[in-house]
Amino acid sequence: MNDSVRPLLDIRGVTKRYGATVAVERVSFSVKPGEIVGFVGPNGAGKSTLLKMVSTFLVPDEGSIELAGHDVVKEPLAARASLGYLAEHNALYDGMRVLRYLQFVGRARGLARAELAERLAWTIGACALEAVTKKRVQECSKGYRQRIGLAAALIHDPPVIALDEPTHGLDPVQMAAFRDFLRSLAPRRAILFSSHIVGEVCDTCERVVAIHKGKLVADEPVSALSKRANASGRTLDQELVRLLEPAQASTEAAR
Amino acid sequence: MTAKPLGLLAGARVIASREFAAWFDSGVATASTIAALLLANSIFMNEFFLAGRIDMGPFFARLPVLLVLFLPAQSMRLWAEERRTRTFEVLVTLPLATGSLVLGKFLAALALYGLFLVGTAPIVVMLCVLGAPDLGLLASGYLAALLLGGLLLALGSLLSALSPDQVVAFVLAALVSAALVLSGDERLVAVLDGLFSGANVGTWIHDVFSAIPHYEELVGGIASAPALAYFVGLSALSLWLTTTLVRRLRT
Repeated sequence: MNDSVRPLLDIRGVTKRYGATVAVERVSFSVKPGEIVGFVGPNGAGKSTLLKMVSTFLVPDEGSIELAGHDVVKEPLAARASLGYLAEHNALYDGMRVLRYLQFVGRARGLARAELAERLAWTIGACALEAVTKKRVQECSKGYRQRIGLAAALIHDPPVIALDEPTHGLDPVQMAAFRDFLRSLAPRRAILFSSHIVGEVCDTCERVVAIHKGKLVADEPVSALSKRANASGRTLDQELVRLLEPAQASTEAAR
Repeated sequence: MTAKPLGLLAGARVIASREFAAWFDSGVATASTIAALLLANSIFMNEFFLAGRIDMGPFFARLPVLLVLFLPAQSMRLWAEERRTRTFEVLVTLPLATGSLVLGKFLAALALYGLFLVGTAPIVVMLCVLGAPDLGLLASGYLAALLLGGLLLALGSLLSALSPDQVVAFVLAALVSAALVLSGDERLVAVLDGLFSGANVGTWIHDVFSAIPHYEELVGGIASAPALAYFVGLSALSLWLTTTLVRRLRT
């Protein structure tokens, strides 16, 4: 990756507190065009909180986040316009028909009639939603619901894509297709993809960012993680656990 | 491609059209509108055949009490439902100003209420067939009904944003609406004045707080500036407070 290329997603020293609890503490990393970065960590590590700040749903207490050069606090509308976001629970308007839901999101994102028609055709095809466009969202299976959420996130062709647990509810065949699809989106775009399944992240991404108890504990290429795991005879999951629990790792090393 | 974010009114229009369509996905909203329409028309017919007057005075006199129950049933879901279903996150992360979201939802609710008022058109037609009603007075009555409904919906939107669930939002909106409407009832004013003799609490509430004196002025054909300012000002204040509250819910 060329270091001179400006990142499309730039997170600098971000902290978020809920009362006395520090959910995210001074986290910094960036994602450049063409990169798919896996964002891993156990449940409650702060992944969703950070992604909610990226989406502008939450406001950071400290630090800054820029999406395609737009600060999420100072220019929230421009920042949101640059982002395709799939939230953790992928809430959708259940009563709406799938096509109308996608049309609504496209119109709310300012797409004009011709652009909207073009993007609808592309997203429906790319997310394989042809069979459900006339159905109400509530009538769709979990796998379809994830794909509807993904289509809504991509309808405006955003330069930055943030996906919180996007493979939740997909079967293995759909997961494999999703990985290929994500790779096909990567050129020109910065993709941040959160999951707690390390193997899935390593299969999809070139770089992994790990967070634990709100702090960044690793930011390295997947190849480096795999190399270390192979050298030490550990699985990728075990290697990641070492990153997430440095105290535990140092105890093991002392033995 | 990343399109430019929409302006306040264009954004409000997108939200309003989604919301308006969504009312018809909800059986409760449709049923409550039909029930309110049947009730309003039957109240009018009853009064009309008893009094035999070619005007809608009795209808407009009864309407506020009906709205105290009907409009909170409409406004309760505006924000509380978004929070319950977690679509609130989807909505506020769209590149739309918070003002567009609030205005769009309000306009959709007002349009549904407008449909209810249009549903009373058979009364107007019947009056025109049977006699020569004062059309200016009718128009002024409908303006009063629209402004009162707008105020109750704007307050309902604020209370829906404040409430964790729809039932609480309904109860709060019904209580506030009832306070605005019933404080204009002369019998209640007399009771309150009697309870706090010397302080004239009932009269003070009637003159300062109640929507009914302003509503009655408009229904009577007097489009006074204070009456218009009361409805437009309080509605705008409620919508501004809703916008502030929705913005704070994100932080």
